[in-house]
Amino acid sequence: MSSSYKSFSPSRIWALTMSTVTQLLRMRILVFLLVISVVVVGASFAFPTFNAAQQLKMLKDVCFGLEQLFAYVIAMVATALLLPKDVEDRTLYTILAKPVPRLDYLLGKLFGVLIVIGGGLVLLDIMLSGVLWIKQGYVLEDTLAGLHMQLGGTPPPEAIAAATADVEKQGLTWALHVGVLAIFLKASVLVSLTLLISCIATSTLFSVITSFCFFIMGHGETLFREYFFKGGTAWWQYLAAAVLAIFCPDLSLFDVVDAVTEGRAVLLTDALHMTGIGLLYTGGYMVVAYLLFVEKEL
Amino acid sequence: MSDTAVVIENLTKVFNRGVGHKLFTAVKDVSFSVKAGEVYGLIGPNGSGKSTTMKVLLGLLAPTHGKTSIFGMDSQLVESRRAVGFLPENPYFYKHLTGMETVLFFGKLCGMSGKKLHDQAKELLKLTGMEGAADRRLGGYSKGMLQRIGLAQALVHEPQLLVLDEPTAGVDPAGSRRIRDLILDCKARGITVLVTSHLLEQLQEVCDRIGIMSQGQMVSEGPIEDLISVENQTEFVLENATPELLQQIRDLVASKPGSGTLLSMGHPHTTLERMFLKVTEEDERLEATRTKT
Repeated sequence: MSSSYKSFSPSRIWALTMSTVTQLLRMRILVFLLVISVVVVGASFAFPTFNAAQQLKMLKDVCFGLEQLFAYVIAMVATALLLPKDVEDRTLYTILAKPVPRLDYLLGKLFGVLIVIGGGLVLLDIMLSGVLWIKQGYVLEDTLAGLHMQLGGTPPPEAIAAATADVEKQGLTWALHVGVLAIFLKASVLVSLTLLISCIATSTLFSVITSFCFFIMGHGETLFREYFFKGGTAWWQYLAAAVLAIFCPDLSLFDVVDAVTEGRAVLLTDALHMTGIGLLYTGGYMVVAYLLFVEKEL
Repeated sequence: MSDTAVVIENLTKVFNRGVGHKLFTAVKDVSFSVKAGEVYGLIGPNGSGKSTTMKVLLGLLAPTHGKTSIFGMDSQLVESRRAVGFLPENPYFYKHLTGMETVLFFGKLCGMSGKKLHDQAKELLKLTGMEGAADRRLGGYSKGMLQRIGLAQALVHEPQLLVLDEPTAGVDPAGSRRIRDLILDCKARGITVLVTSHLLEQLQEVCDRIGIMSQGQMVSEGPIEDLISVENQTEFVLENATPELLQQIRDLVASKPGSGTLLSMGHPHTTLERMFLKVTEEDERLEATRTKT
């Protein structure tokens, strides 16, 4: 035999990760990204009748909406396809008949999807930053020219500073990157949750629909929690609220996109807290997914 | 390393088919062992439990009762698979990979890397006759080519046990012959082979021992010669025998009643497979000569 066995092997996980990345890229994900990029560039020329701040906000709204669409669709649909397809094609038999622990297989799938989503978001973030920076320059120029005309001469430094601050608040800020991080973290939670569902599901459609339900419920998870703590209802309602509060992720914790598109700043501590919560959810779901998958009969 | 490559001990596998369905026993109290270095054939009709037995052996299913081990190690442990190369029935691999990438991918899963892995992959592609198609995507491969790539990936980490599930299913006679030769080559290299096939004649050519399963149970098992020989009959083949000699043999047997009975006499038949190979090889040789001239 050629090599000694290691129960945990980063190189083996990396091989599975890269195979997942290639598999996803063959699903024409790049075309999806290209279409989004064209819309981002197109959006920078749109809304010419709006005022400076509105133009920049609309551009951010469109771009963040597209980034979320990209991340969450890939997180739910592409992830739901991976495991059932490997079972259906029997590729999983060939992989697990090698000295590959099932945890390595799951981690390879998780990291593969996260690399594709993360890579796509980084590209879109770079593109949005570039477009926003250029647009911000033009908008600032127009605003100052308008101010110049309005006052019939050189505006006072305070007025220039106020106008510049107003445009910069709606322009390129660090908070925008935190918004992208929040999208990535929410997508990571969805990927791990969808992988978990795939471990017990018998079809791709079931995984997609169930993940989508959790996605919707995840934005109202606090309601289940409140319902559970208030009590005083029928036992089955109490039980249902408890189960949903425990198993459903609180996705509203990652909702900072609206704040950053409105030009509000995000504190570093909030970003770190959000990252920690995202890692905890992802790790927790992966542990449960592994416990289900390790017992799964193929 | 243990002298016994595979031990299946009182294996029973029961499937729970869900609420409202009866339990289904796919394999019932099956026991057999495969010695290191031998070729063992597991045969039986569809649904006889062969594939379930193999899946349990490979850790893809957990046994309900009984034990399975590979070279003395519990086969439910992932580590035991270090010694195993597996070719599933009708293998499907990632279609987006080329032949070379597929072998490299499976090599990496076994902890191989670098030049050693590349050299090994090249050698196996050559051995399986897939050198020319190594850079083509698997999506464009025929069934026979997939089977051969499957064999290459199964052998990439130099396993001591090769498990082949219907290795010649859907493969043309020339491809089947090539796979048969590869099995014999593995045997010569000391690799233990556990193989299932519906093509009994092929198994007969390569196996040292066989086990016959039916309805989840092992109904017969032993060395192939013991199982197929007809103890009370004798066969001899003559070449260029004259009609007179043949008549003399007939007369001799008839003159000694009680010493034996002549059951049949005639020209032996070649198999359809041998005839097919002879004709197609001749045709290929002629085509090659025509191309040269």
